[in-house]
Amino acid sequence: MASAAVSTPLKSHAGLFSSRTAGGRMPLTPSPRQRQATAPVSQNLDSSPFTPERKSADISRPSSKSVYGGNLSSHFAKASSRSSHRDSPKSNIARGVCTPRKALELGVSDFTLVGTGNTKSSSSKKTSLRQKTSKTTVTYGADRFIPNRSNSSAISNAGSGKLDVTDKQRAKTSNTEGSAVLSSATDDAIAALEGLNINDEEGATYSRPSPNTIAYQDSLANACGVNLNTRILQFKPAPPESSKPIDLRQQYNRPLKSANTSSAQFRRRVATAPERVLDAPGLIDDYYLNLLDWSSGNQVAIGLERNVYVWSADEGSVSCLLETSPDTYVSSVKWSGDGAYVGVGLGTGEVQIWDVAEGQKVRSMFGHDTRVGVMGWNKHLLSTGARSGLVYNHDVRIAEHKVAELVSHTSEVCGLEWRSDGAQLATGGNDNLVSIWDARSLAVPKFTKTNHKAAVKALAWCPWNANLLATGGGSYDRHIHFWNTTSGARVNSIDTGSQVTSLRWSTAYKEIVSSSGFPDNSLSIWSYPTLVRNVEIPAHESRVLHSCLSPDGQMLATAAADESLKFWKVFEKKAGSAAGVGASGSSGKAEMAKQMTIR
Amino acid sequence: MADKSADKDKSKVHKLSLKGSAKLVTEFFQYSIHTILFQRGVYPAEDFTTVKKYGLNMLVSSDDQVKAYIKKIMSQLDKWMQHSKISKLVIVITDKDTGEHIERWQFDVQIFNTKKSKSKSNPADENAISTSASKAATTETPKTEAEIQAEIAALFRQITASVTFLPQLQGDCTFNVLVYADADSDVPVEWGDSDAKEIVNGERVQLRGFSTSSHRVETLVSYRLGE
Repeated sequence: MASAAVSTPLKSHAGLFSSRTAGGRMPLTPSPRQRQATAPVSQNLDSSPFTPERKSADISRPSSKSVYGGNLSSHFAKASSRSSHRDSPKSNIARGVCTPRKALELGVSDFTLVGTGNTKSSSSKKTSLRQKTSKTTVTYGADRFIPNRSNSSAISNAGSGKLDVTDKQRAKTSNTEGSAVLSSATDDAIAALEGLNINDEEGATYSRPSPNTIAYQDSLANACGVNLNTRILQFKPAPPESSKPIDLRQQYNRPLKSANTSSAQFRRRVATAPERVLDAPGLIDDYYLNLLDWSSGNQVAIGLERNVYVWSADEGSVSCLLETSPDTYVSSVKWSGDGAYVGVGLGTGEVQIWDVAEGQKVRSMFGHDTRVGVMGWNKHLLSTGARSGLVYNHDVRIAEHKVAELVSHTSEVCGLEWRSDGAQLATGGNDNLVSIWDARSLAVPKFTKTNHKAAVKALAWCPWNANLLATGGGSYDRHIHFWNTTSGARVNSIDTGSQVTSLRWSTAYKEIVSSSGFPDNSLSIWSYPTLVRNVEIPAHESRVLHSCLSPDGQMLATAAADESLKFWKVFEKKAGSAAGVGASGSSGKAEMAKQMTIR
Repeated sequence: MADKSADKDKSKVHKLSLKGSAKLVTEFFQYSIHTILFQRGVYPAEDFTTVKKYGLNMLVSSDDQVKAYIKKIMSQLDKWMQHSKISKLVIVITDKDTGEHIERWQFDVQIFNTKKSKSKSNPADENAISTSASKAATTETPKTEAEIQAEIAALFRQITASVTFLPQLQGDCTFNVLVYADADSDVPVEWGDSDAKEIVNGERVQLRGFSTSSHRVETLVSYRLGE
């Protein structure tokens, strides 16, 4: 086609094709200048960057290459047809007729003739002469162009390779071809090719194989996307998952400052120093126990070895509620909803209920054979989770207190939380399971979630969205997962980077605070649902074991393995709203020492 | 694909400049991966923080996993670059659901000799014919550090601006990094042979490039046409 453009008035066809080839393929770049330089006939230049290829005697190859651009299948078809028909001029003609280009071209037959000539070495002057005679009728540039043919296609490939990615893969193959080409082409275009400087020796060696062989290898390699001298290597590990779907439209409309810095301006200020520090000597460093709770009556109960102490946040006074028999220890404490009673789980499996105002034991409930590490109240129901993996529901009003046995966990239950309306119960265990129970049917869990890779102690129901449950995994897992407990779907996840020992939702802000064990020993406040970490407070010297929120939701108490109990004003109400409600009532605070010992 | 003789020659004469240049190019790759991940929304914008680089505010992922992933790629790439084994770096963005490749950022690397043009040296690849020819002229006076930085900055501006014509990426996307290396390169286990992950019937746009004393980098983005 190109030669048609060059030597006959059919230029317009070339233009037509070139516009197609160029169409959309290389909109931003001008054709590389060396291509122009090599093209001996200037009228080609604007018609198509691929025109030199069209001069090729090897008709179908370059033509289809340029016409079909990166279409591998067409290369395949072409490659195979060429391999079978290469030596027969007739079949060449027939094949040529099949190509769509032919249908458009008037000078077709001439080119098929040229094509037959090409089976001989194209760089031979004699050949070109012969070809010229054979097609005298046709073109005049012919003798000039023939030497270039098979080779000039390579030149143009070289030039177009930048744009045509399929061509690029051939890299070295076509390079060698190109050099052979160039060496022969230099006669025609020495001046233009100054910068090219071909190694003549190399050119000679490479020119030895028949051009068809080269072309065949070339197109075969091309078609298969294989290059003999380069390898395409992929970094095999899968890239990390994106934490959430992204809407780019938001991104483009973002303020110039990055998300972190801009949000910092609007971010709530959180006091990073504790409001108060209390010693908690003898606090058992055991992840599976739950030894701290804050009642609705603003009293904090903490289990220290064999004793339960109650600290009144209003008055700052401490009293020892009970001491167990020397053969056991306190493994869990939990205030009833009204703040009048505290449930105490013991290492023996016994569960006691104490009236705090009276300082007297109300009753003992037996049933568990193993220590009771976690408890939860739902009105008159007390749920207890034991090391055996069993969870019992006790109706504390009646003699036959055990009303349900929840069988799901196979290892120690360490997390248990009733939803505020009492319709659902979430339990987490050392078997890495999260079980979500429907209060109406406790035979089997409604959902059992296996996503955590370590024990699940931290459980928290969202106060503003009853369907939302947050669960945090242990040191091997380090994730917080958020669940829709109606559908059972996981809606969000955070990798916190350390063991999650407890989770508490803010009641006033759309935030959740997590406490960490190894290695951070910190408190982190995350906004939800953006999951941005608003602040990380280095809270304790060793892992934070328990946390609980004050009844007004402003203050967080944390107990850690460093045997201290700290109070943090993490969810302080905005200035202007009523201050000093409950929690560390301002009156008590003033009188209290910054440090005091509970016992 | 730099040819052997040229390569050796360089290692003698231009070892230092090659090393420094390779480092510069590798660093450029690192920032370009981060930039593309950000600009194309492969990871959420909140994951990125700005750092001053090339006189621009570059966005770099602060996600540990992503950082570690890119760092791993870069450490190997650095080794390859030092030995001039790399001819292309390709970042392919793939639709997670369909597995279709929807965007492909290709960085072509050419290694050339700053010594007055070696007439015997074959160009690194076909593309180099034009560029090395032009290079021979332009590198007569070596570029200053500032000029190179300015070229890179211009390229990053163009990458950033390219989001205006690139089609919106639909759905969840992930990315892969490909490298066109010499056949004789040492290949660690994390790397394996791959196809080119071309965009079928893709649109192509050539972007700017930049050059250092011994490398020239050209950028090309191809993308799937919007339906």
